[in-house]
Amino acid sequence: MPLVFTHEADRRLRRLVIGVVLSAALGLAGLYYYGPPEYTRVGYAPKQPVPFSHEQHTGRLGISCLYCHTGVEESSVAKIPPTQTCMNCHQTIKPDSPQLAVVRESFASGKPVPWVRVHQVPDYVFFDHSAHVRRGVGCVSCHGKVNEMPVVVHEKPLSMGWCLDCHRQPEACLRPPSEATNFAWQPPAGRSNSDYGRLLKDQSRIHPPEQCSGCHR
Amino acid sequence: MNNHSHAPFAEEPPWITGNHGFASLTNLVCGLVERRAPAWWWGAFLLAGAIFTLGGLMTAYVISTGIGVWGMNSPVAWAFDITNFVFWVGIGHAGTLISAILYLFRQKWRSSLNRFAEAMTLFAVACAGLFVTIHLGRVWLFWYLIPAPSANQIYPNFRSALSWDFAAVATYATVSTMFWYYGLIPDFGSLRDRATGRMRRFVYGLLALGWRSSGRHWHNYESAYLMLAGLATPLVVSVHTIVSFDFATSVVPGWHSTIFPPYFVNGAIFSGLAMVITLIVPLRVLCGLTDLVTTRHLETMCKLILATSLLLSYGYMVELTNAWYSGNAYEQFVFTNRMAGPYAWCYWTMIACNVVLPQLFWMRWVRTTPWAMFSVAVCVNVGMWFERFVIVVTSLHRDYLPSSWGMFYPTWVDMGLLAGGFGLFATPFLLFIRFVPMVALSEVKAALPEANPHHTASPEAEPAPAPVPPVPADPTAGPCFGAMARFRGPEELTAAVVELRALGFQRIDTYSPFPIHGIEKALGLGRSKVPLFTLAGGIFGLSFAQWLQWYQSAIGYPLITGGKPINSTEAFVPIDFETMVLYAAFGSVGAMLLLNGLPRLYHPVFRGRSFARATDDGFFLTIEARDPKFDPRETPAQLAEAGGTEVEFLAH
Repeated sequence: MPLVFTHEADRRLRRLVIGVVLSAALGLAGLYYYGPPEYTRVGYAPKQPVPFSHEQHTGRLGISCLYCHTGVEESSVAKIPPTQTCMNCHQTIKPDSPQLAVVRESFASGKPVPWVRVHQVPDYVFFDHSAHVRRGVGCVSCHGKVNEMPVVVHEKPLSMGWCLDCHRQPEACLRPPSEATNFAWQPPAGRSNSDYGRLLKDQSRIHPPEQCSGCHR
Repeated sequence: MNNHSHAPFAEEPPWITGNHGFASLTNLVCGLVERRAPAWWWGAFLLAGAIFTLGGLMTAYVISTGIGVWGMNSPVAWAFDITNFVFWVGIGHAGTLISAILYLFRQKWRSSLNRFAEAMTLFAVACAGLFVTIHLGRVWLFWYLIPAPSANQIYPNFRSALSWDFAAVATYATVSTMFWYYGLIPDFGSLRDRATGRMRRFVYGLLALGWRSSGRHWHNYESAYLMLAGLATPLVVSVHTIVSFDFATSVVPGWHSTIFPPYFVNGAIFSGLAMVITLIVPLRVLCGLTDLVTTRHLETMCKLILATSLLLSYGYMVELTNAWYSGNAYEQFVFTNRMAGPYAWCYWTMIACNVVLPQLFWMRWVRTTPWAMFSVAVCVNVGMWFERFVIVVTSLHRDYLPSSWGMFYPTWVDMGLLAGGFGLFATPFLLFIRFVPMVALSEVKAALPEANPHHTASPEAEPAPAPVPPVPADPTAGPCFGAMARFRGPEELTAAVVELRALGFQRIDTYSPFPIHGIEKALGLGRSKVPLFTLAGGIFGLSFAQWLQWYQSAIGYPLITGGKPINSTEAFVPIDFETMVLYAAFGSVGAMLLLNGLPRLYHPVFRGRSFARATDDGFFLTIEARDPKFDPRETPAQLAEAGGTEVEFLAH
């Protein structure tokens, strides 16, 4: 009978099978590495229309977060400040700086500065800043050390699993609510972060929701 | 498989008529694939393809626009989607019934029908998969059903009947596909060995995985087949049981009933057999298979349809009786509403088609007249579709509160998808009968009387091949694999094995187009190791499923749902079972391949001059050169003495 395949065919088949298995494994590993928000979101640092530096304003000048982000204690959103907030100071400080041209233009025309949004949760997530800040979750827990960022970088993944980590064990992120905006806050001497956090959790009866409707309504 | 000629059932007429031998069966079945497609096939294919295209366009429309284009509403939140899903899953039950359950019961008539019914199963389950997937609405979130870790740290709810359903249907689809392909391996070998074109030889050769139909192959093959049949039997029962849980675990009147699992499984088998009749009655004539699928085969199936119809009627009666006996006003209302409400015509169509018409099968004339049984079977298909429609829609459209009562009217998209389902079913089915042997060739051959080594050769058996002088050993021809000889039939082959082993030969293997009963003993093969792999696979699957469900429900996302504890072992049983069957089936098929060293595309035995007949009607035997008793001068004579002809040496 005429031979359909030779020794060579088996060698090729073996190589093909190994190749397919390896590519499938690589594909899966790639999906798990490149797919999650840890890769897709972390590190996002878009160029803003104005080279505003949080490091300069918060870190070196010591302006409180609340001076600009006024909604953070009262509402679900932290709020991006209106141009008026910038001009409060910049009418007298560096009023002619070319880097502030966009701000002055916006102030004159009344059209807001087109800031590029960095942190955003999906529409089906009901996230409330006030609920977190007033219970003592500091800015740094979700936004990282913004006081050291010349350009704001998306530092945390903001994935659902990441949210749940803290909802299940909130003590690691808790501090006295009055210290929410303090980037340098440390637990009192002799107490560990989670130990002190547990105390705060019990005092304020903090039971973060873990059921679906806690965040998806 | 045991059919001694002196057995008490020897009076039973053979299931295969027309004086077929091994070669004529090969010609008949492989010829269907090798000949040019007949005109009727092209006509049917174009029609099916057109309906398939319609279904594809409708699916694209539904996915891109949203399921609001269907007629569903509140309260009728499930309508044609789930009706079609249950209908097609039900159709998919006949294949495994015929392949597995009848195999365990040693029903010989199944071998003419199982391949065909298995293919029908696959395409029906594919249809069911389509409907249940587009029913999700946002199909791109389908992956939420897969219990894999993700950045959401969210897992399927294993305490929900819908998760069980996913596991059951996915396992059923996978195991049915494996079972089907597994049965096809020897037949792909036949097609490979008969193929004339390069392309066909290559494709069928790859699909056959290097199958060389040796005694050792068959030994493990049959063992794994038995394992698969044993696994598929409870699987087929579990699938529609779990589908019925989608309804029965809810609190909707008309659904919340313990009769649902047996009632659904039986209804599924009933509809599946009716679909087999619907397809095989025209196809056996069009494809010239009337010798293989005889009127007796059809009559047997008609009797099964009648039996399942009676069981189904019993189910209908139990539903009514329980509603009356329960004294529950809501339950009673559902059934009076079914019989006299706005969808009464659907209910009575169902009763007429499923209860009344199958009673015609009490008459022998109907059971033996193809057109009559075809008509009844088509009505049963219609009736079973209406049964699912009645269950799904009439229970929902009259909710507890009269203020939220409503009606369901199908839209043109609903109707288009209903039709499209038949296109999705028929198109691959027609491709199947065009490119794949639609009858399990090796099994049909094994069912012939002359396949039995105890059979006394009938005088009309074909004459022995002309003796060819043995090829002398050529010492310059490189390494030699061994010597091969051809034998006349299974009886002669078995006798030769015994004789040669008595001479002290160890490395003997046989090659036959079907498994020869008893040859594994002659070859001295012990019990096959396949069942150990099946057991290992089953234990692994069961432990894995139990661990997975416990971990994801109790550790990964501990969330109380439905008032059940987070580690609810009882609720994990369905998925435990399905996963166990899945991995046991993987273990069985993997063991057959591993123990037989497949896929191995090249093997020296393929160099045999007429070895292509080994998957047709030839019986061969090889003695390997590494056998200590092998002697290039003596062995050919010893083979010839044992009854072998066409003795030759095989190069490596």
